[in-house]
Amino acid sequence: MKKVIVDARGRVTPASSKSHIIHRFFLASAGGRLGINFWYGPKQLEDLEKARTLVERSIDLYFEEETIAQAKAHFKSYLPLNNLITVSVDSPNGHLGAAHRHDPEQFLHISRHEASPGLVCGDIVAGMWEVTLSLHAIVTDYCEYSLQIWQEEEAAQ
Amino acid sequence: MTWIACELHTHTFHSDGRQSLNELALGAKALGFDCIALTDHNTMAGLARKEQIERETGLLIIPGMEWTTFFGHMVIIGVKDYQDWRRVGPGDIHAGLARVHEQGGLAGMAHPFRPGSPMCTGCFWEFEIRDWNEIDYIEVWSTTFAPVKKNNIRAYRLWTDKLNEGFRLAATSGRDWHLQERTDAPLSVTYLRIQEGEAPFTERAIEALSSGRVSVTLGPRLDLEVNVNGEVYQIGDAVKGSDERERLASVKVLADFTSRHEHWHLPEQSFTVSLKSNLGVLSEHAAMPEQLPLHTEISVQGLLWMRAELWGIIQGVRTLIAFTNAIYFD
Repeated sequence: MKKVIVDARGRVTPASSKSHIIHRFFLASAGGRLGINFWYGPKQLEDLEKARTLVERSIDLYFEEETIAQAKAHFKSYLPLNNLITVSVDSPNGHLGAAHRHDPEQFLHISRHEASPGLVCGDIVAGMWEVTLSLHAIVTDYCEYSLQIWQEEEAAQ
Repeated sequence: MTWIACELHTHTFHSDGRQSLNELALGAKALGFDCIALTDHNTMAGLARKEQIERETGLLIIPGMEWTTFFGHMVIIGVKDYQDWRRVGPGDIHAGLARVHEQGGLAGMAHPFRPGSPMCTGCFWEFEIRDWNEIDYIEVWSTTFAPVKKNNIRAYRLWTDKLNEGFRLAATSGRDWHLQERTDAPLSVTYLRIQEGEAPFTERAIEALSSGRVSVTLGPRLDLEVNVNGEVYQIGDAVKGSDERERLASVKVLADFTSRHEHWHLPEQSFTVSLKSNLGVLSEHAAMPEQLPLHTEISVQGLLWMRAELWGIIQGVRTLIAFTNAIYFD
């Protein structure tokens, strides 16, 4: 039986870049498998002028003076600009890894016997768990996300 | 001691790579590498089958991860357990470095001048470093055909600046290897000179890197020896100071053109062998491969460090082809 524990939606802005959103939730019973479905969008900044402004600002910040003009002339080589949010998981017993990937939709799971890439197997114990959303870059005016977390029975091994 | 060919910056599908550890290991082996460090972004989950893959492929694997933080990317290798990066702010890197060192690991600045946010958040190093003695190495050559890239030239200059300030830190290359794809671009290799012995390989590799026994190249492996008062010093060594110290040292620059020779190509040419130091260029000689090793004498007065560089033409571009890490002077 699938028991949904978290069903959250949110909206973040560029000001939220370089921040984390932690969803801390309580599992009343141990066992089974933890499922996570995470989605965010839009992925890309489509507005070329806004993208150009952001890239040029970045070039001013990160490039040496003598290379700035050339880099700005080739600003398109840095496009598209993308939002990037990654997911990591902590059980009451410790850290269970991260899924640092660029996919805007991820289905992840953890159980004693198996785990999605980036995550490590671990007992689904009762107690306070955390799923952390790490906002590496938000480049669009708004970025919506949804996060569902559930506990379910694990298929027989 | 033995030189081994290493690729110290790699990823699998456990982060954003598009390869398994087995595919990565087979690919590295096919390119003549002896060793890789697995440095997935913010996870060590990809190491689950490390020992099995080492046995099956014959490739040695150093455990690690790339701390992919918002304020800098730092490759940490030789650590046993995951180190949490998520609470680290731009002024907190020394706490992270201490945790890496407590575990017997080493930390290197990854591609410190690659453009940062929003193109690649954290790719540009923005952490405040209050004590450079705690930085073990700088990845001065990142990605392929590294020495011609502006951000790598800047990283190489940073390393040189720190050596000039008296810090003793290593310089490495890292492909930042995410997938198996054929490329004609020259590949960098970081050679580590490893001690023989019974200690686990990772410990010996970490000791070699920590001691600066490192040589980086797109082709032939460059080596450097300094003889002062009959005592021979090699890459990573510190020449002992004394009042009676000879003012002159015999220097030998060697290049092994047989190392991984089937995996790189250099047109027939006369190379430039350069000895660089805190005092600038100590000597520069043109040499065909058969004219190496090259012997020269230099004054050691005022020297803090010295390294060898090999310059030449590769794929039509005159560039730095290989460099040694430093020999230091107390």
